[in-house]
Parts: sequence; C-alpha cells; structure tokens
Amino acid sequence: MLQVLKSLRLTQPTRFASALSSTVTNTSSITADASSAVNSGEPDKLYSKLEIELRGIDPAVLKSYTWFATTAAEHLGIELGKCWSPRKAHHERMTLLKSVHIYKKHRVQYEIRTHFRYMNFHKLTGSTLDTFLEYIERNLPEGVALQAAKTELQQLPAHLQQPPEQV
Amino acid sequence: MAESHLSLGNNSALHTSAVCCRVQSGRYRITVKRDRPLTYEMANPPHFIGHRKSWNSWNTSTLKDALRPSQTAIEDVFIRKFITGTWHALVCSEIIIKRQHNMIRIAAIIRQAIHPRKMYFLIGYTEELLSYWMQCPVTLELQTVADKKDVVFKYI
Repeated sequence: MLQVLKSLRLTQPTRFASALSSTVTNTSSITADASSAVNSGEPDKLYSKLEIELRGIDPAVLKSYTWFATTAAEHLGIELGKCWSPRKAHHERMTLLKSVHIYKKHRVQYEIRTHFRYMNFHKLTGSTLDTFLEYIERNLPEGVALQAAKTELQQLPAHLQQPPEQV
Repeated sequence: MAESHLSLGNNSALHTSAVCCRVQSGRYRITVKRDRPLTYEMANPPHFIGHRKSWNSWNTSTLKDALRPSQTAIEDVFIRKFITGTWHALVCSEIIIKRQHNMIRIAAIIRQAIHPRKMYFLIGYTEELLSYWMQCPVTLELQTVADKKDVVFKYI
C-alpha cells in the first residue's frame, strides 16, 4: 500500500487537461499543428535529435520510465541514442538548529535528492516526434519532470544557397 | 576481594543522554503492556524513507529548479486535514497525494464503518469541493478494510 502506485500506462482518465506543466518544449500545440501541416501538403519537418532530460526523486521510477520510453521508441521504429544517468544525484542540503531556543551545537540536517537521466533519440520525422513526445508526456509518472530539446534540420534559405559575388 | 570485584566494570548502568543528543522524530515509545498498534508506516522511522518506505506526497515541486514548492506543501497539508476531517475516524493509513500534470490523485485506506451509499456521497463531496478549492481535477482512489486491525504491522 505504501509502494509507488504505478500509473496505468495504457488508460488515462478523460479529465486530462491540455496544459502540460511539467515539460519545456519548443512548440506550444502539438497535434493541431502536425495534422494541419500534413493535410495542407507541406513536407514534414525533420529532426536530427531529440534529447530528453528526466529529473526525479526515486531512481527506480526513472529507470522504469526509461524502459517504458525506449520500448515505445522501439515499437515506433525510432533510433535510440545514448541513454545514461550520472552516477550521483544532486543533493540540496540544509543544516538547521535542532532546538527552538539555544543549543547551537546540536543541529539537524535535511537533504533533497534529485536524480537525473538522459535519453537521446535520433532521426525522427515531425509527426513521429509529436506523437512519441505526446505519448511519453501523457504517461509521465508523478514526481518525474521531463525536459525535451529538439534539433530540427532545415534547408538553407534561398538567399544563402549561392555564395555572394562580392565578399 | 570484594573491592576488586566491584571495580571490574559495572555492566548494568543505564545509558542516558540529553534530549538534544538523540533523534525523536517519527519514533514511538514502547509501552509497558506492549499493546500499542503500529502500522508499517509508523513502525519505520523517517531514515528508512527511500529504503523501506516511500514518500507520502509525490510531486515535482521539490526537484532542482522546480516551481511552487511551498504552495504545494501547504495544499498537501490542507488536503490531509480535510480528508481526515471528512472521513472522521475512518482513515486507517497515511494519505498519499500524487500530482500528475494538473490532476491530483488522493489514495487512502478507509474502514468499512459506514454504509457504502454514504461512502459514495462522501467521495463525490470531497472530490467536488477539493477540485473547486485546488482549481484542478481531483480523484479519490480509496481502498476499504473491514477491520482496523488489518492494517496493524506490529504492537509496541
């Protein structure tokens, strides 16, 4: 009863609201843009790299979530890059006085640990990335924060394709 | 002969320390009759969190560079007081609060002392009022237990 109640990965309650406060992504609305871009005949965006940084309290939860994300990527055919975590967590320590009034020699120490985990995915199309990222974000467990950085590949703009005559 | 026997070392002295030198948090004193019931949560002191215990409130507010830690903590205190008061003398465990995206999920173990119809009313009442106060969807995930002795881990 006191173990982590793992959220059901496949079923989500229908009261999910669209604001995903625990993520930092470059685009604001995901599915609307993707469907309109594909329908209007524009070519899909290409992304060379998707870097995901996870921060959490419990390293076991982070490991399990990484397994979930990498399995999802495997099913979708996304190339997996380096998945790693630093050996040590980030400790935020506070040393406070134990007693209310005096007794300076007796202190109490608290610490908050943040564990990190990094995942890299390579060579994604825009719609794959949007779908994958939305799936990952919807199934984010409690106590885990996700930060995603996308690297897009673009054609050189027309005015830069030819070298200028006079330098 | 008697003096040398006494000076060999007194093995039955009491160990005493001032209250400041020892830790008292989350620890329960042993009773003489050994009949004080403790749940698993109460039986493990706080230094076992992360090893034999896990946290009671799960959110991202305490991570590095995270938002609104103090407001989340106060909301948690309010939720716990509200649940304990609404389900008075019925909650048998700690109240677990989980925040996922903008949803709050509250889990607890409740004694089966009232009619299920009253329980459904209390669930709806709690969810409605808490979601109005917290301004986000609140779900109650309760488990019931017939007897409060079922959650006792040991007697102290």
